[in-house]
Amino acid sequence: MRQEEELINRFGKDSGMKVPENYFPDLQKNILNKLPEYPKVVRTVDHTRWQRIKPYVYLAAMFCGIWLMMKVFHTATQPMSMSLDNPPAALVDMIDSDYDYDIHYVPYIPDNFYEDEDFIMSYDNIEDFEKDFDYSFQPEYSTITTSSQNDKNG
Amino acid sequence: MWKEKILMAYKAPIDEKELVKQLQDEKTASKAFETLLQYYSEPVYWQIRRMVLNHDDANDVVQNVFIKAWSNLHNFRGDAKLSTWLFKIAVNESINFLNKEKHRVQSTGDMEEESVMMRNLEADEYFDGDDLQKRFQIAISNLPEKQKLVFNMRYYDEMKYEEMSEILGTSVGALKASYHHAVKKLTEWLSE
Repeated sequence: MRQEEELINRFGKDSGMKVPENYFPDLQKNILNKLPEYPKVVRTVDHTRWQRIKPYVYLAAMFCGIWLMMKVFHTATQPMSMSLDNPPAALVDMIDSDYDYDIHYVPYIPDNFYEDEDFIMSYDNIEDFEKDFDYSFQPEYSTITTSSQNDKNG
Repeated sequence: MWKEKILMAYKAPIDEKELVKQLQDEKTASKAFETLLQYYSEPVYWQIRRMVLNHDDANDVVQNVFIKAWSNLHNFRGDAKLSTWLFKIAVNESINFLNKEKHRVQSTGDMEEESVMMRNLEADEYFDGDDLQKRFQIAISNLPEKQKLVFNMRYYDEMKYEEMSEILGTSVGALKASYHHAVKKLTEWLSE
């Protein structure tokens, strides 16, 4: 650069600045004498929004948990409400209604079910039954009265 | 001699990593800081002196620089060179000092800034330059801060643009442009 060479030729590179004799060793001593205590490291952390609200969220979650636990405990320790003294409203409604529940809940019974003599009258005396089943009735039940016998006696 | 010391300091003749490790340990920090002062006090001083011109002012600023460095040792992460970090603090402290001086001169209003600089230089018993050198220093001091820094680093310290780029955090291209503008302005002013 031509202009730079002009400056160097005209002014040189000596700035004319000097320092006192023995200046730098003295400067070093001065600085060492002026040093404060070794700095304590203070770490500052920039908190994110989540970090700031986290404790409150955890606190709210904890209260919700406690509330749910108390609710479950309360329900578990309640006395049975299904009693005749205090029937639930739904049960009362069901009983009071005209709906014929037997239709659905009683199994189908054939018309001649009770007329089946094999079923009703398999045994004419108790001894046969006791013998077959190796069982002895109490004295008051030790006689069988069939319907045909009742008709004869009657 | 100081020019060589500046370049030596920048090229870190000491084991910087070890020194930084010692500086960040409270037990070894004082001794390590003594070593740091032995290597860097002179180049840092000259960096400041060429900015503020007067020896007494440079003496105050250089002490502030090292006390500030000591107080901020825990902030030095070792990403940059120790010398770069120190020169950065020195540059900032010098600019702060000059700005304060400028405001002080403007608030009193009794003398122009250039005259104040000239007076400071003349009053400085550690300046033995002739009138030509005095004129040159006053002309340099009138450059904008960045150009002044770049000019001093390049003209007196013969620092490479890449090294200046690390210290000043400016691209090599911008630094070359700054130096070119500074030389052009100085040539114009001093030819009048």
